[in-house]
Amino acid sequence: QDLIKKNSANRAVVEHRRRLLEEWLAWRASVEEELKAEGIVDALEAMNVGKGDDFKDGEEVIE
Amino acid sequence: MRPILLSGHERALTQVKYNKDGDIIFSVSKDHVVGAWFSYNGERLGTYHGHQGALWTVDVDPTTTFLATGGADNTMRLWNVQTGKLLKTWEFGSSIKRVEFSSDGSKLLGVTEKRTGHLSTIVVYDIVQDVDAEQTDEQSLRIVCDESKATVAGFSYGAKWIIAGHEDGSVSQYDVKGGELLDNVMVHEPDMPITDMQWAPDRTYFITASKDKTAKLISTKDLNVMKSYNTDTPLNSAAITPVKDYIILGGGQAAMDVTTTNARQGKFEARFYHKIFEEEIGRVRGHFGPLNYVAVHPLGTGYCSGGEDGYVRVHHFDKPYFDFMYEVEREQARM
Repeated sequence: QDLIKKNSANRAVVEHRRRLLEEWLAWRASVEEELKAEGIVDALEAMNVGKGDDFKDGEEVIE
Repeated sequence: MRPILLSGHERALTQVKYNKDGDIIFSVSKDHVVGAWFSYNGERLGTYHGHQGALWTVDVDPTTTFLATGGADNTMRLWNVQTGKLLKTWEFGSSIKRVEFSSDGSKLLGVTEKRTGHLSTIVVYDIVQDVDAEQTDEQSLRIVCDESKATVAGFSYGAKWIIAGHEDGSVSQYDVKGGELLDNVMVHEPDMPITDMQWAPDRTYFITASKDKTAKLISTKDLNVMKSYNTDTPLNSAAITPVKDYIILGGGQAAMDVTTTNARQGKFEARFYHKIFEEEIGRVRGHFGPLNYVAVHPLGTGYCSGGEDGYVRVHHFDKPYFDFMYEVEREQARM
């Protein structure tokens, strides 16, 4: 019984996180869309930091 | 990797900043001196002398050409990063609490303190992009904050708006052209001052820290509070990490309020929260007093903190930091 309760509680937590992540990603997509439409270059450039080679360079520094 | 300790300042640190490449850290302190350090090994690159009082704030432009500082001597100053030469001094009737460049470096703002006979203002100067040029005395914009004094401010993405945080716990959005107040939203507990405001890399959202022991993640466009991070200590600073979806908070009770019990409870820690899930995921110890400022490496590879104890601690993130993922994040990554 306890195990079932615990499992459903865990499931609720995971569901909640999944929803938060989806909400966040949806918001980010809408922002990116808007910046593209408005042609705001500085923000669009900044968005790419960490997505591509920059991140790999950074990791090498740490090693 | 062990943290690097930057010892050189004789009094409390008030702000620390990475340049855009992240190879240099600039620090300001109540000891009147501006420091510049190599972030990867902590070697001191130089100091900038001239201020006659405690320094409250520092910022560096995106090309690491100009350095701006402000402090209790009622001046805002512009320096040549490379030579250390003082290029310009702007004088005011009260101290400068905050300086910040726009993301393209063409504008510099300063936040002036409210004092008898002096209103709280946000002033903007257009910066001539030449170290040999004469910089202007003319303010291109002056905003008077008569409702509640501004404590922090900065330029939004595309320099469309100026966003300010206030002593009363609210944030404002001003039009960057005419300076009109477009919106003001109470985001923290009323009359709990906002102590810090830092941008996401693209400046479409930002984080505020407050004495009310919380930090808030706010969208730039509509000042909507998207996330809230609750702690057990007054906060002095909050930063958003690129690459990983974390935020870093720093704070602690002021020295006079600290009992030994409090110190043992270890409130002088940098706290890491998951940005999206609002959950605490880790703490980093080290300082012997409150953390006055936390700054994140622009490539997300590390962070540094400036403490009331007079030290800057520089941390390089290890592999587990990058590997850590919630199960739902793993799912998302696989999709």
